[in-house]
Amino acid sequence: MDNARILVVDDDKEIAKAIDKLLSLEGYEIVRAYNGLEALDAIVSNNIQLILLDVMMPKLDGLSTTLKIRESKNIPIIILSAKSEDSDKILGLSMGADDYVTKPFNPQELLARVKSQLRRYMHLGDMGNIARSSQIVVGGLCLDTDAKQLTVDGELVKLTAKEFKILELLMINAGVVFSAENIYERVWNETAYSVENTVMVHIRRIREKIEINPKEPKYLKVVWGIGYKIEKY
Amino acid sequence: MRSISTSTATKITAFILVIILITVSVAQVQRFIYRDFEIESSFVKEYKDSEDFVTDRVINAFHQTTDLIKSGNKIPQNSGFYYYVTDGTKTFSNTENINKSFFEKYSNACYINEKGLLSFGKNTNSSESLYSYVDANKTFNNITLYIAFQDDFMKLRQQEWQEMRAETIQIATIMTSSIVLALVLIVFLICVTGREPQDKEIHLSKLDRIYSDILLAFLILLIAFYLESFFNVMPYVRKSGTKLGRIQIYSMIYIEIFTAAVSSTCGVILLSLVRKIKADKMLKHSMILTVCYKVYDFFKSLFDGRVFEKYPLTKSLFYRQLVFISSSAALVFLTFVFLMVPPLFIIPPILEIAIIYWYITGNNKTFEDINKGFNESLEEQMKAERMKIALVTNVSHDLKTPLTSIISYIDLLSKEENLSETATDYVKVLAEKSNRLKQIVSDLFDLAKSTSGNITMDLESLDLKKLIEQTLADMSDEIEKSEIQIKTKFPDRPVNIIADGKKLYRVFQNVIDNALKYSLIGTRVFVELEEVNGNAVATIKNIAGYEMDFTSDEILQRFNRGDKSRNTDGSGLGLSIAESFTNVCGGNFKVDVDGDLFKVTICFNLEN
Repeated sequence: MDNARILVVDDDKEIAKAIDKLLSLEGYEIVRAYNGLEALDAIVSNNIQLILLDVMMPKLDGLSTTLKIRESKNIPIIILSAKSEDSDKILGLSMGADDYVTKPFNPQELLARVKSQLRRYMHLGDMGNIARSSQIVVGGLCLDTDAKQLTVDGELVKLTAKEFKILELLMINAGVVFSAENIYERVWNETAYSVENTVMVHIRRIREKIEINPKEPKYLKVVWGIGYKIEKY
Repeated sequence: MRSISTSTATKITAFILVIILITVSVAQVQRFIYRDFEIESSFVKEYKDSEDFVTDRVINAFHQTTDLIKSGNKIPQNSGFYYYVTDGTKTFSNTENINKSFFEKYSNACYINEKGLLSFGKNTNSSESLYSYVDANKTFNNITLYIAFQDDFMKLRQQEWQEMRAETIQIATIMTSSIVLALVLIVFLICVTGREPQDKEIHLSKLDRIYSDILLAFLILLIAFYLESFFNVMPYVRKSGTKLGRIQIYSMIYIEIFTAAVSSTCGVILLSLVRKIKADKMLKHSMILTVCYKVYDFFKSLFDGRVFEKYPLTKSLFYRQLVFISSSAALVFLTFVFLMVPPLFIIPPILEIAIIYWYITGNNKTFEDINKGFNESLEEQMKAERMKIALVTNVSHDLKTPLTSIISYIDLLSKEENLSETATDYVKVLAEKSNRLKQIVSDLFDLAKSTSGNITMDLESLDLKKLIEQTLADMSDEIEKSEIQIKTKFPDRPVNIIADGKKLYRVFQNVIDNALKYSLIGTRVFVELEEVNGNAVATIKNIAGYEMDFTSDEILQRFNRGDKSRNTDGSGLGLSIAESFTNVCGGNFKVDVDGDLFKVTICFNLEN
């Protein structure tokens, strides 16, 4: 794992160099490319385990490159982009990218995301596809209802009983929005009264455990004015 | 003096006096007619000199005597005159003295006709009407006629005449003085009407709201109607028999009442017209003029192309339409003319076809031009819009890319092990500031996008109460850290509105964050939500921890920070973003500053 080879693609050489340095310090091997075409060449000539891809690039942009790569390869792709709109993120992810990081990014967050993607790809690579019947899988989250265990990108995460129940409810119904009262009634089995705070505190704790950046959650989301949900992947 | 003359009491008194005077003079006319007086009596002193005598008595005598010759009609006894008449064969007389000198002795009223030649007694009135009577009658050329009125008879008549004269003069005097007085009063009323004691303005009454030409027409009709009934009824007043009969009494009363009524109405109308003239509104406030103006304005608006001055294409359409309509109208008229000359009636249709052809081709050309211009301006607009969006996107990219490098290298720098202690401190400051710069850039583009309207909205029905609760729960860490308490007051029921939840979360997050940052330590922030008149109204109130020397408008201006020193973190865009996001969600964002109280009111329409 420590010798994983990562392809960094950015037309801004300084940024590419900085990312190179950042990841090298963690022990990764880095291949640099400065546009989409170079990136495609690099994939062919190197054994790459992860790609960091800028969107706005000359010759071939990041989104087209993603599409091209996905024609043949299953390597995790993290898109790096200055575009921060939700619609841009959705577009990037739907093109086949595994994660979307907006510039300017927090280097530590980027590192965490890289690690998470690599873990998922290298350790679960084949295993992830054969989920057991007791397992509920949403993206990198894997909840085992028998073992009462949760793994995030293959890493075991400790949850309290209530947290586990909440996550179980939301993961089984991924994409469905639950109100705080609803969650409370289902998890606590009590009539809900003024429970927004209680539920929200639990949600935040869960987030801190499963999300890389709890302020910009990937999985457990607040639907403002309505409730909470696990994003469907 | 002026205040007395213009006071209402004076005016009303004068008006009533005028009516009375007019009624009195009409009464005198009636009296005159009733007595069957001759106007002549007032200026001819002697009965024998009066025309009345000539026409009434003398010509009658001439007639009677000639009748005697022609048909032998007897002349009644006591006719009061002597006569001698002869045509050469027949002779008649009522006196033995048939010589001329006998007749001439009655010098006051002696009339002699000798074969058409008239002569008179010494003091007799040689009236013109007698000459014309004799000239018109050929009979007098063949006869000789002497007529002399007896002195006794004349004396009696003179006495009656004098009595009548005295009364006629009296009537005339009363009438003249009443009329003169009435005229004086009318002149006075004309002078003072519309004036009030307190000022020099012309005051119009309610009556004056009626158009002046309608008033005038009514006045004329009323006078005409009055005169007609006056002349119709007047004959009934004349004395018949010896006593005052019922018909006369009724007629008199009728005329008097009618006169009073009509004269007061006429007076009111007249004074109203006078007021209008004084106020210079006589012509302006007339129906004819008003209607004329309306019609004029209407046609002017039809034919006035000035409204299209700035739009040359529309202007050309307008004038072409004008020419088309007027020439078509002229052609319709011409058609009638040419129909009378059969070979020529082919001309109008040909002309019409030519005009229609010219009109349609011209208009089509103009429409094409208009469409072209419209498309061009639409394209311009689209281009400007695209440029604006591109600008935001490009500037965003151009700012974020170097910032990414800065942040990345600062991170690398912080991992260097050989740095001195001071250098480590500097790197820490750089890391802090670069993160703040990142926040400002991010906020700036959020704001730029939402104010330029170039923002994707995800509108859905949501519970504002729940949203605020979620926001507060989400911020519970900051709230605990801040030593500020949050007090909430929410309705029991959900408060459903239509908005973009994420944006609205930013709104409340920014406002509450602002309250936490700038509140006086130990005070409370009040977050309240209520339904008012179909609106969901959320208020966030806090006590500022410093003196707020700005207005509510200033604080919303971008980059305005509560504290002028700007040493706390944040981009200074929080409230601006909150305002802008509230607006794009369709709500209303208001800031009130009252002493140390800082109050934000966010208002949304309730769903349904």
